[in-house]
Amino acid sequence: MSNTTKKWFSLNLGSRKENASSSSCSCGKKEGDCHSADTSPQQKDGFDQVFDVPMDRRTAFKKLTASLLIGAGAVSTSCSLVSGNESKEKAQIDWEEQFKGNYKLMSEEEKKATVERLARSYELRTGKTINLSSQGPEENVLFGYAFNISKCQGYMDCVNACVEENNQDRNSQMQYIRIHEMKDGKGFNFNEADDNYYHEVPAEGHFYMGTQCFHCDNPPCTKVCPVQATWQEEDGLVVIDYDWCVGCRYCMAACPYDGRRFNWSQPEVPEAEINKNQHYLGNRLRKKGVMEKCTFCVQRSRAGKNPACVEACPTGARIFGNLLDPNSTIRWVLENKKVFRLKEDLGTEPKFWYFMD
Amino acid sequence: MKNKHKILVNWVGYITVLSLLISCKHHEDEYHSITDKIEAKSKSFHATSTTSELHTKHLNTIKITEGEHTFLIPERTGEITSFACTECHSSPLKEMKGTASKKAHWNIKLQHADEHTMNCISCHNGDNMDQLQSITGTPINFNKSYQLCSQCHSKQFTDWKGGAHGKQVKSWAPPRTALTCVNCHNPHKPHFESKWPVRYNTQKIKERE
Repeated sequence: MSNTTKKWFSLNLGSRKENASSSSCSCGKKEGDCHSADTSPQQKDGFDQVFDVPMDRRTAFKKLTASLLIGAGAVSTSCSLVSGNESKEKAQIDWEEQFKGNYKLMSEEEKKATVERLARSYELRTGKTINLSSQGPEENVLFGYAFNISKCQGYMDCVNACVEENNQDRNSQMQYIRIHEMKDGKGFNFNEADDNYYHEVPAEGHFYMGTQCFHCDNPPCTKVCPVQATWQEEDGLVVIDYDWCVGCRYCMAACPYDGRRFNWSQPEVPEAEINKNQHYLGNRLRKKGVMEKCTFCVQRSRAGKNPACVEACPTGARIFGNLLDPNSTIRWVLENKKVFRLKEDLGTEPKFWYFMD
Repeated sequence: MKNKHKILVNWVGYITVLSLLISCKHHEDEYHSITDKIEAKSKSFHATSTTSELHTKHLNTIKITEGEHTFLIPERTGEITSFACTECHSSPLKEMKGTASKKAHWNIKLQHADEHTMNCISCHNGDNMDQLQSITGTPINFNKSYQLCSQCHSKQFTDWKGGAHGKQVKSWAPPRTALTCVNCHNPHKPHFESKWPVRYNTQKIKERE
């Protein structure tokens, strides 16, 4: 990416890019003073959102309390003669990552750049490579889900598959999917339902229903986010930018379906179990203090695959597809079976339908 | 004077109508409900560039057309160990009756409907073991064994054709490949056994206490 379209303040430590500036100034500009405004017309984003007021460098650094450590680290490594190229590169990546914008506002180019940085950063840290994607939504696709409550037997293969696919924290046993064991004839009584049973299933006189993020078409969670770190994509997926999330958990409170999860601690996955096929908005490794949730396995669904839960279900209770394709199986279910959704009266328009045989 | 009033009233009218038109079409409430959205947007639907081919290319499939549905199912005969059956069953079943030949298929116990309703030859063709047969004796290819099941399980058959019963293989995108009846159900014992769930969340229990 050229320097003129960059939305963050660049340190240019000279190790990441071949065409490093020879200027002694750390802002990387060859001409003019460090703070001459970028002339390219663009949305204010990332660094600009904080620094769109004219200020000298001292004020800038004062404002940057959270970023000082990274900055200091970057400067010290760049000045140090002993630190290797790799640590310089790492510092440069950390710096650029710190000041990148909201994913939602990024251009395709910027999305690619951040994905490259994150993959490279992982490689530098662990020596292993990951396949991190920034694949966007496709036109004419609107994802929808159907769940057959007469088929689900409560085996929970879906939950296991989901945890493995999406690199969820193993310590806190975080899971996006909950399977509720409900008594026959009592309706959907969540107060009496058990979502953590452990006995042979299916249990006599019970039925099973799964809940997860319903990817509402009118999602209350995205509206309450004070920093717009969560939004609905064109293909209907409600996603989170984990790097933009401030962890206020408003969205968790706003969701009427308990679809969202919070990382109370640094999520940990044993190296051998990490799914290295990742998406920026999906199963890439999260950090402490951010929200996460089901993304209909964005890393799989946008590549044309079924979500992990659908593939893992041994009873065929889970159906996934493109709502806009009149020939898709999900459309047949919606048009030919008796379908309903949870808390329909709230007007959240979930794209997750339940049906019976 | 009167004319001026009229013009003014007219203008107010125009503006109200215009603002109503605009406000009704503002982005968030473009569609009243998700079904409206699906209906409107799928009118102009043309095929997506995403296909299932990349994910199902390793599968050996056959194309079937049932009613208005055309889709792929896994080829079956290649999956059956020791097919063709006539390699062993060289003579018709009737001739084998009472002979002291070695017992075959001793491990198969039929637990499908009750014995008044079904036995081996309800589905297998005694005269040509390479074929199955319908109730009326019409030969049915092993690859299309769903035609046997659908004789009784017509409701499931309808759901399966549409996609509400069974599983779509690997991909949501077209062309659709669906597992066929015998890919999930053992035809000799179609019922699913009860079993333990694959996981238990000890953390949840702790949090509740």
